[in-house]
Amino acid sequence: MLPGTGVVGAVAVGSLELSIRTIAQLGSDTCGSLPPDVAFVCENAGYLAGGLVLTIALTIASLLVGLVAGFPAGAIEVYGGRYASLAVEAVGTVFRGTPIVVILIFAYFVVPITDWFPIQRVLPVGGAFVAAVVGLGLRSAAYQSQLFRGTLQSVDEGQMEAARAVGLSKLGAIRHVIVPQALRRSVPGFQNEFTIVLKDTSVAIAIGLAELFTRSQDLFVQRTTAVTEVILLISAVYFVMTFGTNRALEYLNDYYAIPGEST
Amino acid sequence: MSETGATRTTADTGRVVSGSLGRWLTIAGGVLFWGWLLARWLNNWFLPAGVGVPPGESFLDPAAVAPISDSLAFAVEYLPQLADAAWLTVVLTVVSIVLGFVFAVPVSVARVYGTYSSTVSLAFTELIRGTPLLAQLFVLYYALNLSTLFRGLPDDGFLPSAVVYVAIIGFTINSVAYQAEYIRSALLSVDREQLTAARAIGLSQRQGIRHVVLPQALRFAIPGWSNELVYLIKYSSLAAFITVPELFNVARSIAADNFAYTGIFALVAVLYLGLVISASKLMAGVERRVAIPGLGGTASQ
Amino acid sequence: MSDYDPLLTVESVSKRYGDERVLNDVSFTMDRGDVTVMMGPSGSGKSTLLRCVNRLTEVDSGEIRLGDHRVTDPGIDVDALRRDVGMVFQDINLFTHLTALKNVTLGLREVRGFSTDDAREAATEQLERVGLGDQLDSYPGELSGGQKQRVGIARALAMEPELLLFDEPTSALDPELVGEVTAVMADLAAGGMTMLVVTHEKGFAREAATDALFLDAGSIAERGPPAQLFENPENERTAEFLDRVSTVSGEP
Repeated sequence: MLPGTGVVGAVAVGSLELSIRTIAQLGSDTCGSLPPDVAFVCENAGYLAGGLVLTIALTIASLLVGLVAGFPAGAIEVYGGRYASLAVEAVGTVFRGTPIVVILIFAYFVVPITDWFPIQRVLPVGGAFVAAVVGLGLRSAAYQSQLFRGTLQSVDEGQMEAARAVGLSKLGAIRHVIVPQALRRSVPGFQNEFTIVLKDTSVAIAIGLAELFTRSQDLFVQRTTAVTEVILLISAVYFVMTFGTNRALEYLNDYYAIPGEST
Repeated sequence: MSETGATRTTADTGRVVSGSLGRWLTIAGGVLFWGWLLARWLNNWFLPAGVGVPPGESFLDPAAVAPISDSLAFAVEYLPQLADAAWLTVVLTVVSIVLGFVFAVPVSVARVYGTYSSTVSLAFTELIRGTPLLAQLFVLYYALNLSTLFRGLPDDGFLPSAVVYVAIIGFTINSVAYQAEYIRSALLSVDREQLTAARAIGLSQRQGIRHVVLPQALRFAIPGWSNELVYLIKYSSLAAFITVPELFNVARSIAADNFAYTGIFALVAVLYLGLVISASKLMAGVERRVAIPGLGGTASQ
Repeated sequence: MSDYDPLLTVESVSKRYGDERVLNDVSFTMDRGDVTVMMGPSGSGKSTLLRCVNRLTEVDSGEIRLGDHRVTDPGIDVDALRRDVGMVFQDINLFTHLTALKNVTLGLREVRGFSTDDAREAATEQLERVGLGDQLDSYPGELSGGQKQRVGIARALAMEPELLLFDEPTSALDPELVGEVTAVMADLAAGGMTMLVVTHEKGFAREAATDALFLDAGSIAERGPPAQLFENPENERTAEFLDRVSTVSGEP
């Protein structure tokens, strides 16, 4: 799953750079002959494409944070002690029960996240980006923990007994027998999570992060007559990304499915 | 083996004890939360002038509780305005899920049993589920400029203003797509032979779907609704971006005035959590109530 | 011969799924009050034939007539046909969200237009007939397999069909529950109900059936009175199959 996401991400970003260049090229050549509002969008395609790169980076980074924090959280809920799992459950409930826009406001205005994680000193990103990754990422972790909890529990109990019977320790059994089966079953849920995170990057408009959605608003505020063109265009871009990636992940899922097992 | 058995038993007893305590706390919290919210709303719209307190003003005097705790005084001061705003959040959620359901049933039935209409239904759900809700609200509000349709309607705080109708349309359209998807998979999880059996005693396809498949499917769809209700409560906050004065929007403007982001948004988070937890408890109760005896694990307890 | 008017006529019926020939030129008739038992190895086309009779499956060629219904005509009202043909399923298929009583009243109310009270009365009578007068308000999930199948029979009976189809009604049941279902079926047979039954219960066939058909690879291999078919099968495949069935169910 992880390499899958990486590959999809890399391909997406790579082809994007290419298309930005093509679009910019096209822009200078052909935009003039279009109707004025379309021409306006066309001329600013490069600006929107820059937002798109940020959207994609935000999506991938948030999903990774969600995976890295969410998988252990899910495992603790299944295998952890009483207090550990209660604590994870409580934190998860808070993140799942609060609107993403409130979480983002907290991450940006309330908690000094950029002091705790000064990523902006290493990478060329701003404070809003770091806050958005942490907000979207932790919220995603809260959902991914539920996903992994479900799939870990869905692995037949007999698998654990069989693994213990051949002499594996509990940890060894979880690692070598339960987790590999559970991860494969998590793909459809992860796909769902991807769609949610990608769409919710648009809420980062609340903290002024210049991703695709915020930039679209910048544009139609500049030229209010082009509002329909701008919004429909970016809606189409989101749709192509969710639809395309979902179909690609479904293909991967079928391709790597265990023969003889459904899903 | 015996070792795991033993630990499991202790853990279970522990959970039972904390479970019943937890349940009483939940009930007490729920009564307090909803009692207070309803009292605010009643106070605002149903008491004659001169009785109760003006909208936005607290029942208690913040200065009176200040000696006990500053945070408490802060909460007492700002919670009333937030409670009033939560009314719109509840209205947006409830109206949209109900309207959404009305349209989602035919859309999902078309998707499963239709031919041409199946494609239309598929295209609609994919399109809505594949684009951000915020973009959908912007299309309605900015591109189609729908709020002009609702100008001139009464707006007294109880009945909502024009832009609220736009938000309701947006959330309803969005909710139709999600609910249709939940109902679709529920329809598919009803054994195909149930419809065959219905046809075998002479029911038409339509009667079979209506009397046999849907009643079972709608029960299977309850966890989906639970999700959808929680989703709508949380995402109704996005209506703030088309100027609807719901909970998040009001909180944002208060915080912009007093810069107390931490306090205000902590209170807001608690209010949303209260709404979300109430919704999931409510739906769990509904699920237990309509469970079919002898079927599935939901009937227990 | 001219006034010979069978209830069910199956004439040269054939059916294939892709390359597989499921039914191959099958013909037989049943009179009112006949109880015909169909046997044969799995995949021999028994269930398909049954489902062709109430149009749950379409034939490729041939003709089926049931009373006034020209079953195989494309334009007929299949719902009207199914009102006259009851069916009892192998996997029972009770409506899981309805009580035993409501499983029976649904068809009465929606198809036969009974009032709530009349439907309730008629359904109670049918459920008492199959010995379930004390389980009216139980849900399918609360009943044993045998009880469920008896509700299934009551549900079909309530429509007052001219012909009752049974598709291996006991093969999904635990062996000790088979008897209660075959007993109800034998009662119906004795009461003059016309029944077409796919089953491997030789005891029931011997006791209640007027006629036995042996289907093999989509064709009728042999037909005759049950006793004769069981004791002196002419066809080698019939003999072999009956032998196997006996061994499995441990009958004499």
